[in-house]
Amino acid sequence: MTRRIEQVVIVGADAPAWMAAAAFQRSVSNAGIRVRVIELPTLLQPADAYSALPELAGFHRRVGLEERLLFSLCKAVPIAGQRFSNWSGAAPPFIHGYDRPPPPAAGLGLTQLWIKGRQKGLRTEFENFSLGAVAAKAGRVPVPSEGAELRSTFGYNFDAAAYSALLRHFTMQGGVESKAASVADVEMDGDRITAIILGDGERVEADLFVDASGPQAVLIGRMPETEFLSWRAWLPCDRMLVASAKALAPLPAFSQISAFRQGWIGLFPLQDRTAVVAAYDSRQISDQDLLNDLPALANLPISGDAVVSSLAQGIRRRTWVGNCVAVGESAFSLEPLDAVQLHIAHYCISQLMTLFPVEAGTFPEAALYDRIIRRAAINLRDFQFAHFKLNHRFDMPLWDGCRDAAVPETLQRKLDIFAARGRIALYDDETFQEHAWESLLLGHGLMPQSYDPRVDAIPEQEHIAKIQARLNDIVGLVEAMAPVDDFIAGMDLQRQAEVTALG
Amino acid sequence: MSEPLDIVILGGGTAGWMAATALVSLIPQTRCRVRLIESEEIGIVGVGEATFPEIRNFNDAIGIDEAEMMRATNAAFKLGIQFVDWGFKGSRYIHPFGVHGPVGMDHIFHHRWLRARRLGLKGDIQDFSFAAQAARDCRFELPETRSTRIDSAYTYAYHFDAGLYAVYLRGLAERRGVVRTEGKVKDVVQDSETGDIRSLLLESGETISGDLFIDCSGFRSLLLGKTLGVGWEDWSKWLPCDRAVAVPSERDELSPYTRSTAMEAGWRWRIPLQHRTGNGYVFSTSFIDEDEAAASLMRSLETKALAEPRMLKFQAGRRVLNWANNCVAIGLAGGFLEPLESTSIYLIQVAIMQLVPLLPGRSIDPRLRDEFNRLIDLQYERIRDFLILHYKLNSREDAEIWRYCAAMDVPESLTRKIELFRHSAIIERYRDGLFPPTSWLSVFIGQGLIPEGYSPLADTMPGESLVTHMDAFRADILDRVEEMRRHERFIDLYCGAEPAVAPMGAEVRL
Repeated sequence: MTRRIEQVVIVGADAPAWMAAAAFQRSVSNAGIRVRVIELPTLLQPADAYSALPELAGFHRRVGLEERLLFSLCKAVPIAGQRFSNWSGAAPPFIHGYDRPPPPAAGLGLTQLWIKGRQKGLRTEFENFSLGAVAAKAGRVPVPSEGAELRSTFGYNFDAAAYSALLRHFTMQGGVESKAASVADVEMDGDRITAIILGDGERVEADLFVDASGPQAVLIGRMPETEFLSWRAWLPCDRMLVASAKALAPLPAFSQISAFRQGWIGLFPLQDRTAVVAAYDSRQISDQDLLNDLPALANLPISGDAVVSSLAQGIRRRTWVGNCVAVGESAFSLEPLDAVQLHIAHYCISQLMTLFPVEAGTFPEAALYDRIIRRAAINLRDFQFAHFKLNHRFDMPLWDGCRDAAVPETLQRKLDIFAARGRIALYDDETFQEHAWESLLLGHGLMPQSYDPRVDAIPEQEHIAKIQARLNDIVGLVEAMAPVDDFIAGMDLQRQAEVTALG
Repeated sequence: MSEPLDIVILGGGTAGWMAATALVSLIPQTRCRVRLIESEEIGIVGVGEATFPEIRNFNDAIGIDEAEMMRATNAAFKLGIQFVDWGFKGSRYIHPFGVHGPVGMDHIFHHRWLRARRLGLKGDIQDFSFAAQAARDCRFELPETRSTRIDSAYTYAYHFDAGLYAVYLRGLAERRGVVRTEGKVKDVVQDSETGDIRSLLLESGETISGDLFIDCSGFRSLLLGKTLGVGWEDWSKWLPCDRAVAVPSERDELSPYTRSTAMEAGWRWRIPLQHRTGNGYVFSTSFIDEDEAAASLMRSLETKALAEPRMLKFQAGRRVLNWANNCVAIGLAGGFLEPLESTSIYLIQVAIMQLVPLLPGRSIDPRLRDEFNRLIDLQYERIRDFLILHYKLNSREDAEIWRYCAAMDVPESLTRKIELFRHSAIIERYRDGLFPPTSWLSVFIGQGLIPEGYSPLADTMPGESLVTHMDAFRADILDRVEEMRRHERFIDLYCGAEPAVAPMGAEVRL
């Protein structure tokens, strides 16, 4: 072994950069590795919100960030699922609830029983068998209990700038150095960065450079063979708008994503406001026309200014070159349709931790990192594209185009086996597991033509009893959950009690 | 409801009867009727007497009582596989059925171990595997289920008489409704347009038609290979062994592990059962001739031989599709990988357990078939790479086969795994397929590949406390292992079979 890595420099802004810093600080600073952040100007707008998957709670636990701070400082709202409306013609809206997978020995899943039930005339929609979806509809917060057969959990919506500031404060307290600067130049030796030159002329050397600069890709973008490969053939939206509307009362436990003629619009409840995000195709509508349509699309009065920006979806040809690793949207980017935005950063950072380079001279870890990130990215892209592909909005160019678009082989296999038998073909490095894919595909109206033949071994009475038992169990569990406002107030009370105890 | 699916299984043996039992046990007869055709004149290969822990899921799913099955098959428990002389002559390690280090820490444990080793920690990595320690000490008890306990860190499989297992399953299958037909196939009738198999014509003149045919005809691959002409992918350049010679011998010490000893032209297995010890020599005729191999096996026996040695021919590889038209191959008819890691019965099982949920209707939906083939291919390729690893990673210079294997090119998927482990001690995970990282770890380290580096994440704890920690953990394992029953004792109490009597004889005769 040659020399260990001694110095890591993270270049970036906002939550992804500070998430990376927090993870490094927690995992390797005790190992004598210095972590420094070169903080670029923020890319956030005042109206920006992050919508996060439940997995983010795991990140907070690992780095030691208390969850209640999200509720007290970042205006967080717990989110039990996402509601999709107007995607599938006359079909009703559906909720993708954040259910936890059942214990492995649970045998034949309820989905297969439900498919047969539907063929026999069962009317109850699939989402009513999802604890997360029912909790979301009831405005209640699912807190997973260990050992229970039915489990669900929640993600979050929170203010993007406040969350970034919280992470920044938390990380700096932990001893990470930072400097606000821009990157003026990058010194290369072959495919390795020897130093970056900051706007004020300072020359910063490191053994490993982490690019958390988002779509700007200030470091990775300068490395060889890292051109951006667009996914627009599948994901047509190339513009994004963010705005704010007033807070909803009572607070819902879901975000709502509605399709419209030229794209989709999402309403993300926060404690003090509702974040409004629209993604659309500039070939179908101009920014100005969209701004004009916004109040009607959101069906809420918009407060303050709306901001539009461009949106590029795709992946870099290489995500780790030499001693430069891309994490988050500098590696690959997707529209924030399924709350994947922070998840992309989180996923890349956890992989980088697992594959942390053993030495400073050579990086064989890079090839595996790149393979994993690429597979994960493609799985996520397929998940998002499935929303578009399976639409039932006819005689609208954007939606007609998506239905007709050629489907990547990875997704085609998933659609095929689900349509045939209601099974999900999961690949390596999937973010979304069976339940999420089932919610998505069934919600968009892809009804399996047959079911697992083992279902027929269950006598009809027992089959009905199992289905009813599940519905009853869910009602019982949801009844015991706190409504969103009470849940948030409880977090606040907990904090006040702690403050009093300290005082 | 439409007519039930008529399934015809060609061939008894382990594959045929496992498939028949599973289908009839898991799927109601309103959905499928199962017939099995076998001939007492055709011998069965009786693959593998050693299994992998996944067999327990199969047995549980079809409703088998463990102790009863073990009595009926003279079974013993298995905690792993011991590899002797593989890395170099005189080396010895166990691939255990369980993690190294505490449960849930397998992503970091070996990095910490590598560091502690540099700091002076003694012993080898198996000291930190509960299964390996219990196996070495010939002890066995069923694992603790509470995951916080040190003795929850392992699982187990069986050594059994695969012939008796098939007999046991046949009893179950016939009681549950499988119709067995004695006979040999004379001709296969295909649809002139689609090529689908319509019926089998037996030598007796009987015609057996069906919707779905399961080819369990062994190496002959009578339906998938011969009738449908599905090609064979040859892997023998990586796995050069092409023969096995097998012989049972008298019962020996009942060690709860399979032993695999590297030989001058292959390797030799030793599988202890309750009533006998199974022995065999897997070898390559490029490096030794049959007679010499048989003689070498006989010389190596530790107890008296109970029969004449039996020779088997094979080639490593698989059919390019395991499901084509309306025919699914299960077992040797679909592919062969030498029993170095006891995967033969696992491959049968995984094919059955993928086929059941994907069982087609009377006209075959190609989407079901494609998904089945995708999953089976992954299983084969991942096992293949793991087997090749054992051959590739040897530093024996004393025999030509070992020099050949050490120098051979291996699949790229394996090369990159070896190189990344060598440099960084990182093991890539996968979703579908046998062998978790802890299995790879045991073979890498066991065959002498000590990584050059380890993750800096293992550097966070002060060095002295790390070594103390490791020593204490090892001592905890030893303490608990010493409290366990001897394997023989446990078997006597739990599932002892009467010696030399075919159990369940009354039940299996019809």
